[in-house]
Amino acid sequence: MFKSLKSITFGLVAAALMAGVAHADVTVYTAGPQSLIDKLSAGFTKQTGIKVNVFQATTGKVMARIEAEAANPVVDVLVSASWDTATDFAKRGWLVKYSSPNAAKVPDFLKTEGAVAQGISALGIAWNTKSGTPKPTEWANLTSKEYKDLVNIPDPAQSGSSFELTAALAGQDSFKLFNDLKANGAIIAGANADALNPVLQGAKAAVFGAVDYITLAAKAKGESIDVIFPASGTVIAPRPAMILNWSKNQDDAKKFIDYMLSDEGQKAVADEMLMPARTDIPANRPLISDLKLLKYDTATVYGKRKETLAEITKIYGGK
Amino acid sequence: MKANGIGGAAPAAWLAIAGLILVVAIPFIAVVLQGIFPNLGQGSFAGPFSSLFSTLADSALIGMAGNTLLLGFCVVLASAVVAVPLGVFRALYRIPYAPFWDVVLLVPFMIPPYIATLGWIMTLQPRGYLQQLVGFNLAPFLFSLFGMTLVMAFNTFPVVYFAVSRTVEAVGSRYADVGRVFGATPARAFWRITLPLSAPGLAASLMLVFAAAIEEYGTPAALGRRAGFQVLVTGIDLRITDWPIDLPGAAILSLLLVGMSLVTFLLQRWILARRSYQTVGGKPSAKDKRPLGALKVPVMIAFSVVAFLATGVPLLAILATALSRTISGGLALGNLSLNNFIAVFSNSAGAVGALVNSFSLGVATALITGLIGVTAAYTVVKTRMRGRMTIDIMTILPNALPGIVVAVGLILAWNMPWLPATPYNTAFILLLAYCCILLPQPVRYTTAAFQQIGDNLEAAARVFGASSITAFRRILLPLVFPSLASAMLLVFALASRELVASVVVAPVGMQTIATFIWRQFEQGSIGLGMAMAFIAIVITTLLPLLLLTLLRRSGLVAE
Repeated sequence: MFKSLKSITFGLVAAALMAGVAHADVTVYTAGPQSLIDKLSAGFTKQTGIKVNVFQATTGKVMARIEAEAANPVVDVLVSASWDTATDFAKRGWLVKYSSPNAAKVPDFLKTEGAVAQGISALGIAWNTKSGTPKPTEWANLTSKEYKDLVNIPDPAQSGSSFELTAALAGQDSFKLFNDLKANGAIIAGANADALNPVLQGAKAAVFGAVDYITLAAKAKGESIDVIFPASGTVIAPRPAMILNWSKNQDDAKKFIDYMLSDEGQKAVADEMLMPARTDIPANRPLISDLKLLKYDTATVYGKRKETLAEITKIYGGK
Repeated sequence: MKANGIGGAAPAAWLAIAGLILVVAIPFIAVVLQGIFPNLGQGSFAGPFSSLFSTLADSALIGMAGNTLLLGFCVVLASAVVAVPLGVFRALYRIPYAPFWDVVLLVPFMIPPYIATLGWIMTLQPRGYLQQLVGFNLAPFLFSLFGMTLVMAFNTFPVVYFAVSRTVEAVGSRYADVGRVFGATPARAFWRITLPLSAPGLAASLMLVFAAAIEEYGTPAALGRRAGFQVLVTGIDLRITDWPIDLPGAAILSLLLVGMSLVTFLLQRWILARRSYQTVGGKPSAKDKRPLGALKVPVMIAFSVVAFLATGVPLLAILATALSRTISGGLALGNLSLNNFIAVFSNSAGAVGALVNSFSLGVATALITGLIGVTAAYTVVKTRMRGRMTIDIMTILPNALPGIVVAVGLILAWNMPWLPATPYNTAFILLLAYCCILLPQPVRYTTAAFQQIGDNLEAAARVFGASSITAFRRILLPLVFPSLASAMLLVFALASRELVASVVVAPVGMQTIATFIWRQFEQGSIGLGMAMAFIAIVITTLLPLLLLTLLRRSGLVAE
């Protein structure tokens, strides 16, 4: 009995080990939205017969997984929600240089040797149209008394685009806007979705710097919410797609990038209320050319990331 | 390895050790090594201990550690205040509709904490459901230590309630009656006899609550951040998901959490080791309970209030959100819609697959942790084997290990390039993660049960010629089975909703209930996520009940 129990145990262990990894043709790690990658992978498989295996989470969790897997990485294509990822990975020499034929219509600032944008989101003010507050048009509007205690700010420590907006605006007036917002009762309210939810229900009137495509999708579903892009300028967050140099499937990975940038792939991007990376694909929403972008130097901003976040933490408390 | 002569120590111990090494030791060692060698992820052992100082010198650390302990103690206290009186009344008195109350008080445990928290937020925040119904809100109470404590205590108190009602019931009124015969007042007999004898169950459950509270991520993240209340787990999560990622720092902070949980465990062990709690001695004990008498109304009110707050409010909030066409539409008849439920059942975004995945994993996790748990508890309590203390400590290690750190440990351990085959990137890695995180539940429950069983029962069986296996199977197992079964049901419920580890470690292309809900929330489809949550709660509550009823019919479990 003793022996048989032992052999059963070891048998179970062995069986668990033998289950092994089913290597898919292309493994894609991506930051949301899930429905976009579902459409892209289904369309890609239909066109090429190559299977796509997907892992989807937030940019942070995707990065955690890649970091933990570093000894034996399995990801072929990475789509991040933060351009910073592409810069950092390029510096580490992790990216495959590839210029897709379909990227010809992608503006130069949205592609590098190793990365090309899948689509672009922008930050704006998400405003509940039934909140009884006047429609805001400028970031500074949210410091007026009509919005007292009614403003949520996504945590810049948890979202790359939110950080860039914070850094860009804080750089203009050395944190005066953020001090005024704090004085008006604004709070930092978790990641993007956590900040938006109270605005939908009406607990808050506006999100200062909401990711536009999530809000626009909610609006399309009938929520009483709107996105306003302030005329003084905002930031965009291009979503870089990259092929990792450890990929054993680089040819198929390149085909996936090609498909992502094809008419069909870019239409799927536009259907998610993101701006398509290609300028010749129409979308039912404001495009980059309609937005005024804040001027700031990305490298400098990220160089002072720690200091900026520390200052925000100081203003918004945290014991 | 010398057994105590009455027990069949060897097979049980071997099974427990093999299981513990696979499920606990491997990921835990990976986490420890990661804390020591910062570049372990790249397969390098360079620069040992270089992260230790910078992590521990972080000035925010003391605040976070203090907050973690404070929150843990508050939740333990609140859970005890809510659960112990109810549990004692349930055990000693004839409560009207007792099975009904058991089910209603079981539900909070089936509600994932992050969902319950979101339900509370949507109820109490300005223009939330409460304000829509009665015109005021309680937001200032919610976004505070007080609010966090209440929300978390309402989520965890069933652990204490069921542990107390079961152990007090097992102790019975017989010992207290002896006290009464010798002149003790009913109150004195309860405080000096019944309650102390129930200590193993009570202490074990309070320790589980403490560990769950310091390890919980969702509620402190949602409520605490706004109150400026940072705990270790939120700090760990930030280190792991904020680029550049600081895995060694996260590992070191996790070990701190494990240390806290270990100290409470040793404290509990020390309290229990000072005396014997054997109350199940094979003598017949009268199971008849007393009538409530004049206490009937207040006790019923207490049960109703707790049930409403712990089960009613979150469930209603979840249901209201799931049935709303839009969130901004609020509680209006015109906003009522079944769209979200239809979307789940028409398998939108892989909802049905997620349900099947989670429930299969839940069942498998319950079976495996049950088996390892009962053998480990038996080895620790009923044998004199050397090293049993090590086994006991191994079963407690995962208790305070945050889910996300278990996930990272598993990836580090199972994604080594030289492994010929690996469970990584298959469903087995989720199974390993769940088993690791949830193993403490069956172990603690069955340990408490074994501690109450007299050694003479097993000895008697052996005297009459039963083999050690037979004695275990025919005598001990049936006696601990009620505890084991309820622990396995808890494991099933917890495994089928586990979020934090699942998000990171899930194999490519696989969804579970929790990751499905989380993705819907991330995309702003709160209604769809809540519909899924409601369906999952109903199934995780009904499935175990059905199972228990079947087991009772077949006579395996007593009423």
